[in-house]
Amino acid sequence: MHYDLIVIGMGLSGLMAATTAAEIGKKVLIIGKGTGSLCLFSNTIDLLGVLPKGIKINDGLSQWVKDHSEHPYSKLEWERIKEALFSFTSLFPPPYSFQNIDDGNCFIPTGTGTLRPTYLIPVTMIAGTSLNKRDGLIAGFKALKDFYPNYVAAQLKCRGVTLPLPETSTPQMTSAAITRLMEKETFRDRISKEIKKHLNGETRIGLPAILGLRDPIGVKKDLEEIIGVEVFEIPMLPPSIPGMRIFNRFKEWLIQRGVTFLLGHAISKANLKGKRCEGVEVFHPPVSSSYSADSYILATGRFIGGGLVAGEQKILEAIFDLPVFQPKSREDWFGNSFFNEHPIHRAGILTDPFFRPVDEKGNLVLENVWVAGSILAHHHCFEEKSREGIEIATGYWAAKNAFQI
Amino acid sequence: MQLKTEVLIVGGGATGVGIARDLSLRGVPSVLIEKGDFASGASGRNHGLLHSGGRYAVSDPETARECIAENRILRKIAPHCIEETDGLFISLPEDDLDFQDQFLRACERAGISTTILSRDEALSLEPALNSELLSAVEVPDGAIDPFALVLENAKDAEKHGARILLHTEVTSLMVDKNRAKGIMAKDLIHGEEYSIEASHLINATGAWANRFLKLADLRIAMALSKGTMLIMNQRPNQRVIHRCRQPSDGDIIVPNHTVSILGTTSVRLEEVENFDIFPSEVSLLIRETSRLIPAIRESRLIRAYAGIRPLFQSGEKEDDRAISRGFVLIDHGSRDGLHGLITITGGKLVTYRLMAEKTGDLICQKMGMNVSCSTHLKPLPGAGERTSLLDRLKRIGRPILEERGEILCDCELVPRDEVEKFLKEEKVKDFQDILHRTRLAKGTCQGGFCVYRLLGVLHDLEGARGDSNKILKGFLEERWKGIRPILWGSSVKEEELVESIYKGIFNLTPTHPSPLEGEGKGGGAMV
Repeated sequence: MHYDLIVIGMGLSGLMAATTAAEIGKKVLIIGKGTGSLCLFSNTIDLLGVLPKGIKINDGLSQWVKDHSEHPYSKLEWERIKEALFSFTSLFPPPYSFQNIDDGNCFIPTGTGTLRPTYLIPVTMIAGTSLNKRDGLIAGFKALKDFYPNYVAAQLKCRGVTLPLPETSTPQMTSAAITRLMEKETFRDRISKEIKKHLNGETRIGLPAILGLRDPIGVKKDLEEIIGVEVFEIPMLPPSIPGMRIFNRFKEWLIQRGVTFLLGHAISKANLKGKRCEGVEVFHPPVSSSYSADSYILATGRFIGGGLVAGEQKILEAIFDLPVFQPKSREDWFGNSFFNEHPIHRAGILTDPFFRPVDEKGNLVLENVWVAGSILAHHHCFEEKSREGIEIATGYWAAKNAFQI
Repeated sequence: MQLKTEVLIVGGGATGVGIARDLSLRGVPSVLIEKGDFASGASGRNHGLLHSGGRYAVSDPETARECIAENRILRKIAPHCIEETDGLFISLPEDDLDFQDQFLRACERAGISTTILSRDEALSLEPALNSELLSAVEVPDGAIDPFALVLENAKDAEKHGARILLHTEVTSLMVDKNRAKGIMAKDLIHGEEYSIEASHLINATGAWANRFLKLADLRIAMALSKGTMLIMNQRPNQRVIHRCRQPSDGDIIVPNHTVSILGTTSVRLEEVENFDIFPSEVSLLIRETSRLIPAIRESRLIRAYAGIRPLFQSGEKEDDRAISRGFVLIDHGSRDGLHGLITITGGKLVTYRLMAEKTGDLICQKMGMNVSCSTHLKPLPGAGERTSLLDRLKRIGRPILEERGEILCDCELVPRDEVEKFLKEEKVKDFQDILHRTRLAKGTCQGGFCVYRLLGVLHDLEGARGDSNKILKGFLEERWKGIRPILWGSSVKEEELVESIYKGIFNLTPTHPSPLEGEGKGGGAMV
């Protein structure tokens, strides 16, 4: 089967690239082994959390790009990043929309009770950004081992409460299971009444980010109606329910637009001829199928996603064996402290200004392949708090560039 | 507070608790103090090998004889801490078969039983072995759980009247003329300082022996030898595997619970704390042990760790492998003119009981008592319990979800109620103590998930002390020391996951204060 574009990778950058191409009427195939970091770590949209507090994002980012000329953002600059973000947010119309606060970063409480800078947040997290000492009650569930309200509350100097789960027969619940329970009216009703009993003057309730997959806003409203104060979600250990909401929305949209969606499939081989990719083979036991396209977008992520592979001495790119920018030897991959900015995380694929892969001398390696997302070199997405911003901006522009528009 | 006792033991390793048990069974009152938790030094940082003595038969016959005698005793008194695996000494084509002859004769002299196995016999017992092997010798090695052994000795000592104080440090020595009278101690959790007077002081601090003796301006000739070990994420061998050659680096593979441990190296150190594991040691261990079991090269490692062997030097020797693994009992009264002080150091985990017996004999002689040792006859308290790997797997099987609630550690299936049980014990004072007593943080993710959960449980039970994020950051740094040397292949994925959680989702940074304290890098202060 022949396509206009094959996107390899189903994380946020791959989804963004597929959406961008489908939007202009291209015939698109998206292939993913899994859902990438999106359903593990993404709760909100980070753009550049390291910027000093209070600064407007366009001023801060424009200056920052000047000081980081090799960063993926420096190939785009603010206007084009903004265009990509707009394309993302328009996929999420109200009620479950993404917002920023005063054009800058805002701070949301996390599962360890720290405050974390981020840029776009879903409306379910807004009430957490203005949390003050003692005015929040943090609530969690007895059987949910990935969120501890008293831990969070101790850091935030407010109160915590661990609620029993009366309806369940299993004493251990995953976040996904509690999310499903939250979608039941009877469960919400009981939980809200329980929380209300514990209120002692607090003006908002923090819950782990499990307010339903399909209609989180409906769940939030129901809870608020009974409890009588605002409710907000707090990001917790993976998997991320807010990340799954993002994935589900993309999937629904892409399938509606006729994009071929192959989840759970891995590329076993890429057929290269000179500087062009002629096709890919997908092995889905026991069948192997071939697909071809005019253009390809590589959005396979880093080590977790499988885009990069750490061999015993060298880091390799898994599909096209592209040159990987990396430290000289394995001994230089990591620093002495866990909290160092480890050089291995700057490793990745170098590209030209249009996101086509180049070698260290800047020579184009493949003409009809574009690279997007966290596999790109010269960023440090957890330190910079830039993961989703890089994924959205480069996914969008890799697709635009592939069709030269 | 002020304490007075007959014998004060400093050090809560196998030797210290062994002495406390020995004395308590003889009816001699004692107090043991330990600055950390039990087995914080070499007792908790070895490969858990119940030596048959085979390894030392050729080079150090006396140690070999001690090992086999103690090996037999431990199987009787501590069967629940031991897995009777047996061991194989493998000869490869590049090894000298003359050494095998020498080895067999030396084992015979030391009283270690041996069975020679052909290549095919060895491979049918241990299919993962290098198929190039020439032959193998079977010896009665085993695997031992050092921490369980230490806890059991401590429990029995306390049952018989000994008093044990953990997280308590010696700050100074009290000397009256030429006699040690006691120490000043500091409770490291509550900060209280107090004196402990005793007629006899025993320095059982292992590698820290000279650090303690410095308080009395004394010193013994001791070499510190670092041994590095690697933990695999599987258990390819069911027996202890050795290389049949002069003891060298990377020639032991010990099956232990669900994993195998690759060891060891020998690097001379000057300092007893803050040591690094070098990448070259890791490469060497993999290169050498994969000659014994080739699959090691392709396997995933989950951690590297190192312990320090305190080796007593009778003369000056350059090569630490050549220094005796035997122990030394020093009476500082006759040696240095400081009466009431004894140092016991060196030795092996397997000979801890014998070391305690000899120390007990000396104390009794000094006290003019004529009570003989009985630790070789009386089994440890839990000796009747069934604790084999299979029993453990049965116990943590299906019924758990209904009965025990959440599983805090998904790698090693540690249930929340096991943690809660330990938290109720008085001695368990911090989260590190819990990590020592359970399998938490010992699996593939090395605590990437379960330590956060443990801190959460501590908060639920109102047992949290101090700033949990500070503790969490400290743990991540400590974990890093063991992980960093083995980071390649699939371990890098695990590392990316852990960094994405703690630096990403949770925004923990070393300079990040808690939200209320003010602004940190990338963080925000709460109004």
